[in-house]
Amino acid sequence: MSGSVADGAPAGVRSGAGRSRHRRRGSPKSRGQRWAPYLFIAPNLAIFLLFVIWPALNGFNISLYDSTNGRTFTWAGLDNYRDVVTDEDFVAVVGHTLVFVVCFVVLVTATSIGLSVVLDAQRRGRAVFRAAYFLPVLLSPIVVGVIWNWALDRQVGLVNTLLDLVGLGRPGWLVESSLAMACTIFVGIWIHLGFYSIILLAGLQGIDPSLYEAARLDGATAWQRFRHLTLPLLRPTTLVVVILATINGFQSFDFIYTLTGGGPVGGTTLIVQFIYERAFESPIRYGLASAAGVMLFTVVFAVTALNYLVGRRSEAI
Amino acid sequence: MSSATVGTPRGPQWTSTGRPPGLGRLLRTVGLTAGALVVIAPVMWAALSSFKTTSELSRRPPALLPQTFSFENYGEALGSFDFTTYLINSVIVTIAATLLTLAINTMAAYALAKYNFRGRDGLFLLTLATIMIPLQVILLPVYEVVSSLGLVNSLLGLIIPAAATPTGVFVLRQYMLTIPDDLIEAARIDGAGEFAIFRRVVLPLCVPALAVVTIFSVIWRWNDFLWPLVVAQDESVYTLPVALARLNSQQVIPFNLVLAMSVLSIVPVVIMFLLLQRHIVTGIAQTGLK
Repeated sequence: MSGSVADGAPAGVRSGAGRSRHRRRGSPKSRGQRWAPYLFIAPNLAIFLLFVIWPALNGFNISLYDSTNGRTFTWAGLDNYRDVVTDEDFVAVVGHTLVFVVCFVVLVTATSIGLSVVLDAQRRGRAVFRAAYFLPVLLSPIVVGVIWNWALDRQVGLVNTLLDLVGLGRPGWLVESSLAMACTIFVGIWIHLGFYSIILLAGLQGIDPSLYEAARLDGATAWQRFRHLTLPLLRPTTLVVVILATINGFQSFDFIYTLTGGGPVGGTTLIVQFIYERAFESPIRYGLASAAGVMLFTVVFAVTALNYLVGRRSEAI
Repeated sequence: MSSATVGTPRGPQWTSTGRPPGLGRLLRTVGLTAGALVVIAPVMWAALSSFKTTSELSRRPPALLPQTFSFENYGEALGSFDFTTYLINSVIVTIAATLLTLAINTMAAYALAKYNFRGRDGLFLLTLATIMIPLQVILLPVYEVVSSLGLVNSLLGLIIPAAATPTGVFVLRQYMLTIPDDLIEAARIDGAGEFAIFRRVVLPLCVPALAVVTIFSVIWRWNDFLWPLVVAQDESVYTLPVALARLNSQQVIPFNLVLAMSVLSIVPVVIMFLLLQRHIVTGIAQTGLK
């Protein structure tokens, strides 16, 4: 994202130059030219305002009301917020979400960097490998959950069948809480690895090869080149991946729904599932769900802004 | 997966400069292959098993290949549960939403990239900020809007709300910035109208970015779950993922049918990916996503 913001600057300059050239010729903008941008942007903006901006503002409003059916609302002030933070389920859900997001972001970023570097180096069959790692990106998270739920089945699953062959027994992957969380994190990584690696691969291919040549001539080892050239030069791209992973991590719901269903005994229920259940399953607590939604947005926004600022600053140093 | 990555930073791998020794190259290929197997194996396993008969599916330990490739599960899945309806719904929603997204996103991106108008920068920042608002967070209020427009339980309710993707606008705008202004100015001097310039000059130059947005729009819409789950409450408007999740959680249908439906739902996106895949890396590289 940092790269993109930087890209924006020359563009502004460029179009500014275009305008002054225009003025020099003395022809004012035609009427069509003056109205065109508004007409071009109108359809997208209309849908955007109606289904994103307005609901976002309204969500905050709903969180201040109490409703059990989504039609009648009674003023509740900050009661929903108080109720939600004192809700035992919510506290547990926040804990699970934090564990999931932290592990997911750290591991998926590290794995993607590793994979992209290896893919970048690989010449033979690179396109095939790239396509293979990209496969999970194409799949519906629902299908991913169904497939891994079955692969991790204690009795007939692919994983335990293989483990049993080499005498490692049959762990209850989705039966024990901590194992289920580990599996959820693993499947999350499995889903997103391909996409993040391709973003990083694009970043790697933008690095000037002559830098590596120079480092090699100076006698830098492969590890030193990775540590002191690749990692710093890849930082803007890594920042994009960290931000995307953070947002995706907090949003995780679909694949968990069919992988563990949030179980065992709520052990892998994350915040989005909590919101969904409070809003659409009885007993319905509409305002409470909205309050949790507002809190989720605040956290995601804050973490993203923090990522961005810290990323920018360390770049400047 | 770990085997593919843990050992790698140490390996000599900088082919952009010179040639690594043979051993490193071998290790790298082996690691990549092992990782790729972890990624592909469960999907291949599901695909192969979808051709097994019910009794074969419950056998322990499971056999790698089906004894005979039987299309029983597919026939049964297609014949029951209105599978065809779900499939048609998914196809309609995906195609219509993607076309709508492409149309309105490209126009918006063009306005943001190539015009100076009051409020442009504010609108662009707004677009960027909303990338961060996940649907999950505004699910209820969006549902309110859709419900007050009478779009609940209709395909339009699945198509329209998600169409104005901020990511699409962003990617296309970044790409359009690279188109020289002189080209547009020259067309204007030749007397071309604003929309004609957009359609005949700008759009043909945006193919890589359009490919990226198409691919992701199709993936997103085809696989959309939470939004359809909320809007499609009636079975007649279920899309494939909703039907799969509902049927799977009710445990009312046998697993062999869930498996067949899952595999069938994978096929169209994989085909589209194979057709468009060469655009993905170049597209991401050129659209400023990095």
